[in-house]
Amino acid sequence: MAGILDVPKPRINVSMLSQHISRPVCFVGRVEKVHPTGKTFTVADGEGKVATVELNEPLEEELSGVVEIIGMVSNKGAIMASTYNMLREDKGIPFDLELYNEALKVVHDFPQHYPFEVAASG
Amino acid sequence: MSVKLTQGAVEALSKGSDVSNPVLQLLNIRQISNSSGPTRYRLMMSDGQHSFSCEYLAAARTQIAGFTELNSLPEENLLVPNCVCKLKKTVTNTLKDDRTVVIVTDMEILQSAEETGGKIGSPTPYNAEGKTSSPQKSVSGFSVPASSLSAAVPGSSYRDNRTSSPQKSASGFCGPASSLSAAVPGSPYGDKNILTPPRGSGRGFLGKSPVKGSPSKFSPSKFSPSRGASTSPGSSTKMIPIAQLNPYQSKWTVRARVTNKSSIRTWSNSKGEGKLFSFDIMDESGEIKITAFNKEVDKFFSLVEQGKVYYITKATLKVANKQYSTLKNDYEMTLHAHSSIVPCDDNQGVPAMHCDFVPIAELENRDKDTIIDVIGVCKSVEDISRITTKTSREVSKRALHLIDTSGKEVAVTLWGEEAEKFDCSGQPVVAIKGTRLSDFGGRSLSALFSSTIMVNPDIPEAFRLRAWYDREGYAADSQSLTGTRSAGSGAKMNWKTLSDVKDEHMGQGEKADYFSCVATVLYTRKENCLYQACPSADCNKKVIEQQNGLYRCEKCNREFPNFKYRLLLSANLADFGDNQWVTCFQETAEVLLGQTAETLGHLRDTDEAAFDEIFQKANFTTHIFKNQAKLETYNDESRVKVTVKEVQPIDHREYSRRLLSNIRRLAR
Repeated sequence: MAGILDVPKPRINVSMLSQHISRPVCFVGRVEKVHPTGKTFTVADGEGKVATVELNEPLEEELSGVVEIIGMVSNKGAIMASTYNMLREDKGIPFDLELYNEALKVVHDFPQHYPFEVAASG
Repeated sequence: MSVKLTQGAVEALSKGSDVSNPVLQLLNIRQISNSSGPTRYRLMMSDGQHSFSCEYLAAARTQIAGFTELNSLPEENLLVPNCVCKLKKTVTNTLKDDRTVVIVTDMEILQSAEETGGKIGSPTPYNAEGKTSSPQKSVSGFSVPASSLSAAVPGSSYRDNRTSSPQKSASGFCGPASSLSAAVPGSPYGDKNILTPPRGSGRGFLGKSPVKGSPSKFSPSKFSPSRGASTSPGSSTKMIPIAQLNPYQSKWTVRARVTNKSSIRTWSNSKGEGKLFSFDIMDESGEIKITAFNKEVDKFFSLVEQGKVYYITKATLKVANKQYSTLKNDYEMTLHAHSSIVPCDDNQGVPAMHCDFVPIAELENRDKDTIIDVIGVCKSVEDISRITTKTSREVSKRALHLIDTSGKEVAVTLWGEEAEKFDCSGQPVVAIKGTRLSDFGGRSLSALFSSTIMVNPDIPEAFRLRAWYDREGYAADSQSLTGTRSAGSGAKMNWKTLSDVKDEHMGQGEKADYFSCVATVLYTRKENCLYQACPSADCNKKVIEQQNGLYRCEKCNREFPNFKYRLLLSANLADFGDNQWVTCFQETAEVLLGQTAETLGHLRDTDEAAFDEIFQKANFTTHIFKNQAKLETYNDESRVKVTVKEVQPIDHREYSRRLLSNIRRLAR
């Protein structure tokens, strides 16, 4: 199996999870609750919908704010994270999740103009 | 007989207790003559055990919606003796002399007189015992309502409910009429809202004094207040909603928020001079205007603050003068010497503002000069301008463009201080209460001095609008109801791509074209970007270095020992589709390079590497450029010259929104 980092990963929001089961995705959302075990946490997208993220290893740092997660979507619609990255908001410009969500919808609404998968796999 | 009278209701009501929708039989009804105010009737009601007289208020037909139906009851001859009624709304008041009065403001006939057939039970007039403290003075000039008194005679049947009174003439009836019309000047009872209470011990009194209106006949011991009075809630302060205020209550307190407060105005006319101020208050039930005159202005003006909550009691209620008030209340208040306003720290349950927002699209259908409340997202705002009014006063004005979910926009003009202090950052939700609709430029709104302007108010409508705007509203292809938009503002951005400049032949007309674009600097010509300019304040003419170490300005015709550096920078801008050579003068070039011309001149002469680096750093930076495109002719050769007028940083969120909105629009 090719590394998840080497394959195209469509950006999705929570409502698109069900269409991407067993596929690698990129998800950006705001951290809501971190499970005490540190192995799972929930994230809210720009529409306020919540998804669950599961990790292979417990978290080693305190997680908060907006994170970008790369992982596979499980059968239950959870994101099995391979890697994640906290987006810094310390530069005074907050990441606008709602706006991001709008952009994301444009990408999905007009796939002919955003042929990322074709380009990446080609 | 299907209806059942509520036994004990008469006693309870007389004591001021709360009885929920009591069912009573009407024994007698009589209209009380009065010159102004709503029509009132005196009712003798029975619960089968006791009877008592109460006051029934039929407000002027069109004024109070809830009363309209009621008003028609007697007029349609439905409210006649023996019919059975449900009292839906009653107010028990305690008078100055501790008597209680029951006022009915809403009732419903459950069974008509014919169906009922006759009097139910053998009610006796309710008698609250043991009270003998009725003050003599309040009795003077007070005559007893003839019909109710006669009705109260025990054993006196209601065989003929109109004529059974021993003194049926209206002259014997003047007391309640005048006392009830509380607001009528000359009433001996001033503004005390007096209604005839249940006449407790009317029996003995009646028996011996059929003589009309003789105060001496009213022995205090006989004319006792009802027992309920001394302990009634009326003697303590009774909190009531604003919507239930009417001129026929005496003891009340409202807890309400001041939503608007005027400044002090003075008047001077043939009757004299004085001053006044007014303020509006509201609670969850409604709103009302309060006016204070002269001494009360001194007393209360500094106390009353907009937005704060107060307990207000003892003010005079009168029918509202709609000419001066736009509030939705049929009454208004006037403060007097005994009025009390006490700040209340508990804001809970008192809404911040009561607005009836009119959707912007709906404004087209409203009449000019109507006063409305409006809420919208402040999409853009124009610069402040100053105008001189007819009275040669200079005042600031500023137009906001509000948009709401109807997808329509309207311009709202703010004046004076409101215009100057308005902060439009972040496209706030703006609610304006009491703004006037004008037909200026199609449809526009003008804030009045009485308007309340709220930025991002804490109300559900505002949150809904915010959510809508951020989700889709920003991208909506909105239409403004206001046609003329004044130029030269942030509102008017003529966005173009660089290919548009060529495709649309911009600048090739007689007049210059202005456009804005988001573009990236590809290259700046550092050669010849600086020149030596005349150092005098308003002259930027190039100077010529003389042999003697001085610098000569041809324009000023002078020689100077020094010069100042000025920038004239040529830059190549690009966006996704094209590129364009532009010229930046002093100010825009300084913004683009992030250095002053003086610093650059100094660096060029001293540290060439640092000088070069500044130009390197400017490359591949992206900004918003506001440009002028104009056809210029050099040596018989014409070409379009683009000059940068302003360089602004990109607000990425705003830019993204615009791109998204363009995508959605193009996809349609």
